[in-house]
Amino acid sequence: MNGTHRLAQVPPGVQCFVGEEARRRRRVEEAVVSVFEGWDYEEIIPPLFDYADVFAGEALAPRTYSFVGRDGSVLALRPDFTSLLAKIAAGRLRDRKAPLRLYYSGEVVRYEPVKAGRQSELHQMGLEHLGGEARAADAEVLAIAAECLERLSVREWVLALGHVGVFNGLVEGASLDGERLEALRERVESKDPAGARAALEGAKLPAAAAAALERLPTLAGGTSVLDDAARAFAFCPPAAQAVEELRAVAEALGTAGLADRLAVDLAEVRGLDYYTGLVFRLFARGLGFEVGGGGRYDTLLARFGRPLPAVGFMLGLDRLALLLERQGRALEAAPAPPVVVRGGTLGPALAEARAKRASGARVRFGDGGEP
Amino acid sequence: MSLTVALSKGKLLPGTEALFRRAGLPYPDGEGRKLVVEAGSLRFLFVKDMDVPTYVEYGVADCGVAGRDVLLETGADVLEPLDLRFGHCRLAVASPAGSGFAPDRAATTRVASKYAKVAAAHFLGRGLAVEVVRLAGSVEIAPGLGLADCVVDVVETGRTLAENGLEVVETVAESSARLIVNRASFHARREEVQHLLETLRRAAQ
Repeated sequence: MNGTHRLAQVPPGVQCFVGEEARRRRRVEEAVVSVFEGWDYEEIIPPLFDYADVFAGEALAPRTYSFVGRDGSVLALRPDFTSLLAKIAAGRLRDRKAPLRLYYSGEVVRYEPVKAGRQSELHQMGLEHLGGEARAADAEVLAIAAECLERLSVREWVLALGHVGVFNGLVEGASLDGERLEALRERVESKDPAGARAALEGAKLPAAAAAALERLPTLAGGTSVLDDAARAFAFCPPAAQAVEELRAVAEALGTAGLADRLAVDLAEVRGLDYYTGLVFRLFARGLGFEVGGGGRYDTLLARFGRPLPAVGFMLGLDRLALLLERQGRALEAAPAPPVVVRGGTLGPALAEARAKRASGARVRFGDGGEP
Repeated sequence: MSLTVALSKGKLLPGTEALFRRAGLPYPDGEGRKLVVEAGSLRFLFVKDMDVPTYVEYGVADCGVAGRDVLLETGADVLEPLDLRFGHCRLAVASPAGSGFAPDRAATTRVASKYAKVAAAHFLGRGLAVEVVRLAGSVEIAPGLGLADCVVDVVETGRTLAENGLEVVETVAESSARLIVNRASFHARREEVQHLLETLRRAAQ
């Protein structure tokens, strides 16, 4: 083909950012990190790869790049930060008193078909709150997520709250076989009440539970959904308790000035399999997919020998940058054009450039044209 | 700004128009060949049936009308809150009438289909090795010409199949038209989406 070179080809899913775009991403990252620091979270830069067992989990396993190390151990490029931070909190940081407040900003690598805002390399910025009182930690983490979007002047964004305890509570004791349970979960995630009913056809479960599961896909909207849910799930204590937990968090956030941003989505049962409680996603006008999300995972740390409840969230840097561009949010004016220093003799010209640099000027040395 | 609705230019279009008119929703009047049309509070995109879920998944359209068959094939990550109760059909396996089609005796079954993913998943899920021949149309002629042992295709009345010497072996999935919604639009444009959803729900009763 004309003008192509075999070695210039790129593999699908990788990205490269140049100049203006790279600067924009850097500014977004700085803004988000300054919010994390502002809430007294400590940065952690975990390794790029670790033993594959660390990342074990049904949801991530098929999307993980794993390889065999020199000594025969199975290693994996990090597909996710949360498992790594849990391991570090339980291992290296085990003598630190809880709660631990940790944040990260870096790339994860996943086998993903490239579509709708997904790439194989993703830059995630997130934090984990490990240990500590659950409701306060949930509220704190949600407030931080909100502040990140406020700091970036994102317009028309929504924080959609859900709780995996609602779905899990309703199916608990219903003895649905694995295949049927997955089919039901998939239909609930699609907010398809008719599909949920079809998935339950012929299953032996109490009429009240069946009716509630058919109702679940419709329980998404404003915070008044919590009242509907409380009535609908009163017969099922675990589901009702999950609704009350959500209500407590929603009320706290409302009091803290975020009432207009809140949505409730009890049909939101997607995501990584380690979530055990609150789950949430951030959406904004102009982007067809979430900019970030997170949730509570109270059993993950026990895998690494330090049972601590935990909650965390992450924002996708690429998605945030894209959203800001779509919403026409410029983060800063382009830098001033450089002072060009060129001269007859190399030594004095270089001395002049160094002097200009010392006074803070942006300098271009020579004209730099391709010969 | 108005909500954007993606509609299929294909077989679902007459039913979609009838539903929107019955619901009293805006709908374009004879705009000829324009593919992006504003009508009242809505903006309509007219695209290929297999592309409707894509427009909605990316959020270029907030909502759309797509057949369940197309949603199964594209695997798009969209919400499906409402069965619109028209466009009923099924995806089925069909083979030459009287051929004694028996995939369990073949090492590999060759299947011609426009629904390559659905066809592959159906056979693989039953433990049958399969080779899918992806075709863009006129799938019914493939077995007679020796291109495939059977087809996976949409069946409404079964007449096209019969005219090409095929008979249904088994149903893969039932289908009807669905209202689909982008996951972000559902929350970020909640009031408009809820209004459209409720209006269509009443009209589709």
